[in-house]
Order: sequence, then C-alpha cells, then structure tokens
Amino acid sequence: MEVNQGTIQHLAELSHFALSEEESSRLVTDIKNIVDYISQLDELDTSDIEPTYQVFEMANVWRPDEILPQEADREQLLALAPTVENYQIKVPKVL
Amino acid sequence: MSETYLPTIGIECHVQLCTKTKLFSEVDNDARGKSPNSCMSPVDYALPGMLPRLNQEAVELSVRAGLALNAEINLDCRFDRKHYFYPDLPKGYQITQMYHPIIGAGHVELPDGTKIRIEHAHLEEDAGKLSHEATYSLVDLNRAGTPLVEIVSQPDIHSAAHARDYAKELWRLMTHAGVTLGDLYNGNMRFDVNISIAKPDSDQLGTRTEVKNLNSFRSVERAVEYEIKRQAKLLDKGEQVVQETRGWNDATGETTGQRSKEGAADYRYMPEPDLPPLHLTEAMIEAQRTKMGRPLSETRAFLRQFVSENIVEVLLDYPKLTAKLHSLKDYWLESGASDQKSDQQAATHDAWLKKIANLFSSVLLAEENTSLLNDELPSDAQLSDLMAMVDQAELSSTGMKEVFLKFFDPEMHFKETRMIAKELGVIQENDLSTLEAIVDAVLAKPETKQAQADYRAGQTKVLGFLVGQVMKESHGKANPSSAQTILKSKLG
Repeated sequence: MEVNQGTIQHLAELSHFALSEEESSRLVTDIKNIVDYISQLDELDTSDIEPTYQVFEMANVWRPDEILPQEADREQLLALAPTVENYQIKVPKVL
Repeated sequence: MSETYLPTIGIECHVQLCTKTKLFSEVDNDARGKSPNSCMSPVDYALPGMLPRLNQEAVELSVRAGLALNAEINLDCRFDRKHYFYPDLPKGYQITQMYHPIIGAGHVELPDGTKIRIEHAHLEEDAGKLSHEATYSLVDLNRAGTPLVEIVSQPDIHSAAHARDYAKELWRLMTHAGVTLGDLYNGNMRFDVNISIAKPDSDQLGTRTEVKNLNSFRSVERAVEYEIKRQAKLLDKGEQVVQETRGWNDATGETTGQRSKEGAADYRYMPEPDLPPLHLTEAMIEAQRTKMGRPLSETRAFLRQFVSENIVEVLLDYPKLTAKLHSLKDYWLESGASDQKSDQQAATHDAWLKKIANLFSSVLLAEENTSLLNDELPSDAQLSDLMAMVDQAELSSTGMKEVFLKFFDPEMHFKETRMIAKELGVIQENDLSTLEAIVDAVLAKPETKQAQADYRAGQTKVLGFLVGQVMKESHGKANPSSAQTILKSKLG
C-alpha cells in the first residue's frame, strides 16, 4: 500500500484535521513505517480465511431492555463540552 | 415527455425500534417531548473508554422486522464501524452492520399484489439531532443510539404511486409486527429514495439521484414525481443527470441539489471489536414469530372477508383495531355462548364483525375521533353485548353509535353495555304489552283523531305522524317498527 502526502491529506480531511506541512511530512514517514511493518503479513495467503472479528469465543453478549441510572448525568457530561446553549452542545456551523 | 422514460426506484427506510432503552446504553429511548440531552449516557456521549452494551430487545425486534419482510434471518451476524466525522456522531463512527446484516433477502407484497424485493436489512444506531442557527449549530444527543433497522429494497419500483404504496406497506408491516411506534411526525420512519430514468428499451439504468430524509408517504410520492419530471426535462434537452444527493422541500414541492461532498464518501468500514458476534438459533426466531402475532397478509385476508376493500385499508392503519377484531372473533369462538348451529353462528359473527369494523371506521376514523384510539379500546364483552342488543332490537343504529362512543368515555369505560345504554336512555321498548299501552294512549288523544280518520280513509302516509307520536309518548324508547305494526293492527 502506497502512503504519500495525498493519503495523509485525505485522512486528515476525513477527520477534519488541519495539518501543517511539517506534521503532514512526519506522518507520511510514521504511517509508512507502520504500514510496511504490518505488510509482512501479506506474505501469508489469507484468501480462504474469514476475517477475525474477535479473539475471544464470546457470542450473544447482550443485556435486558431496562432503563438504569447512569454514572454521569447531563450536567456533568455537558460540563465537558467547550460551549453549551440551552442544554445543547454548541458547535461551529455545519450543513 | 416523461412517459417515454421508465423510472427505476429503490428505497432505503430507517425504522426506529420501540425499545425502552437505546441500542447500546440503558437510557430512555423515547425522547419525544423531552429536554435536549436529557436521554443521554456516557456511552452516547462517547466518553473515552465507554463500551457499547447491546440491547437484546433490539435484536429481537430486528428478527421480527425480518419475519415481517418475509426475509431470511441470518443466524450469524456482526457489527461493523462506519467512520465519518460529523457533530451528530460523537464517537466518530456509527456502529452498523456492513458485512453480516441480521436480515437477508426478502420481499414485500403491495396491496395490489406487486412484489418488491428486499435486498437486506441491518441493525444500526441512529445519530443525534442538529439544529442550525445563523452562525453555529446545536447538538442534541437524545436520539443518538436509538436502534434502527435500515431496510434496503431492490430497485423494483417503477412509479411514484408504487413508491408511496411501498413506503406505506413498510409502515404497516412494521407497526403490525410491533417493531416501531410508527410515529412519522417524530421521525420514527424515514425514507431515502433513489431514482433514475431510462428509455424503456435501454438495457442500462440512467444516472440516479438520491432524495434523503423523507418522512411521509406523500412526500415520498411527490419527491419521486418531481425527480422523474426534472430528470426527463434534462434528458429531453440532451443534458446529463448528475449523480448527487438532493434535499426535499415540502413547502415548494421541489428537490434541490445539496452541496456535494468533496470526493467520494470513504467510510473506512471495519469490524466492531467491542461487540462479540451474534449466533441466533431457530428457537429464538420461532419465539419472535409467536410474539409478533399475525402477519399483516393474514390480517388483510381476514378483514377482506367482511368489509370492503377501502375500509380494510383504513383499518390496517390502526393495528390496535385489527388486533381487536381478531380477538373478538377468538372470544366468540371460545365463549361459544350462542346455541346456534356453527354455520349460523359464523354468519352472525361475520355480521357482527362487519358492524363493529364499520363502527370503528365511521364513528372513530371518519369523524375525526382518532384521538380516542389512544385510550383503551372497548372490551370484548362490551362489544359483544352491544351487538346482541342490536340484534334483539333493543338499540337502534343511532342508539348503537351513542353507546359505542360512550365506551371511550373514561367514566363509562368499565361499565357494562346495558348500564351505559340505560344511562343514555336509548334502550328501545320492545315489550309488546307496554308498547300497546303506549299506542292506546296515543290513539286516545284528541289531537290524533284526525290522523286516525285520515288513515282509515286510505291516507297511509299519516302513519309516520302516528309513529312519531308513539315515539314522543315513549320518550324515544319505542321500537319504531314494532310501534308501526301495532298501530296498523289497531287501525286496520
């Protein structure tokens, strides 16, 4: 897999990150190294193998449909937001 | 001309499930009329380290949705992450089912018999709600994490009317299966419609546009009509249809192109590592089949036996009413109160069901009394007694309607039918000797002498006047046809 400035720019846009030229270049090197390292696995033929979803043998982990008190309430959670108006989180205008 | 093109339409429908709690957290899932962000947990807020806790009921309701869609239920299904960055989605990804959805291929049959194939349907979480102010936006996460089943149809629809019928049929299927409250005003079901047109002899589909977030059957129909015309106009002029997402404006009845996203969407799907897979069993599915009650197709066939097609379709909008009609039939069969022969009994029951179905549709639905339906419906016994009293001529059709409406009066709700009829004073006098006495009293009155003479002279029309006098004398309780018979014999 080819990792270049374009790849990093694309990922940054998807995540709404603004990266400086310098940060972007550094990330190209870092991510390239990571991808190269992982690419060793390409040597294996995995064409007939189901992707692994989990390494535990668990299934059907679910809970009953009951309302329970939560460990943090609205005031505590909203206090973590930079700006709040009328109990809502205020964000830059999006369309 | 648009007639020269064949439209091809596929619809994606988001159905909010009527669970008590959200898909992955134990907070209230019904945020209607509640203060912003009051139904929100650390999971919905995406605090770092929070893990989703799957709601079993949401899985079970999805199974029911699948059964209602005549679909295969995938015994092994899993969750995936769909990444996108938007303020209504605090985690930065939506938990959905991209590769192993819970519901496989199925089909929906429209009332006119047309079959629309279902490609698949999957379980996922809803996003929060944004409201846009002049210079900023506000985020309410009450809806974030509400369980949704997204139903994806094949492009089997070829007209605006069928698009509407399909949307409506989905609503009926889902409400009758008890999967959703089906409150369209509050966005319980939302439709995304893909539309393209092409020459009928073309072996390729045209370029499609997608109109998103339609929340009524009418808007589905109108948006499709508009898009077909708009696209036909472009093609007639030799121009191209641009593949894009368009928004619907209900006030103007037009779709408008929305600012296209820069570059193609790239959701970077990946397996959801926080949720183990589901391994459902046939037994679990059968349990849901039992719980969901009768399939819509069966209910429709049942109603068609005794009421006309248009009333059938009206009644089907109210699953509570059709369930009531079913339960009445069962109640009569079980109680076996009548000593009539079974075929006679069946005929009586069908006549009763017809009467009750018509009462529901004329008194409740046609006269804008639908709010009464939010209350408890009359009991099987109340309705049965009402029918018996009508059969015994103890109630006129007006009296029957009055008593029926009183069933919905909170103060009368648990009273017996006869008590209600008595309080209303609408029980007809059928006792012949009592009626005879009343007739005699009327005939003894000087003001009826002339009419009596006229009748004997052959002016039979005056009989109506005399019956009226009997009704008056009896304070409206006399059975008019009995009164007439007695009058005739006395005067004859």
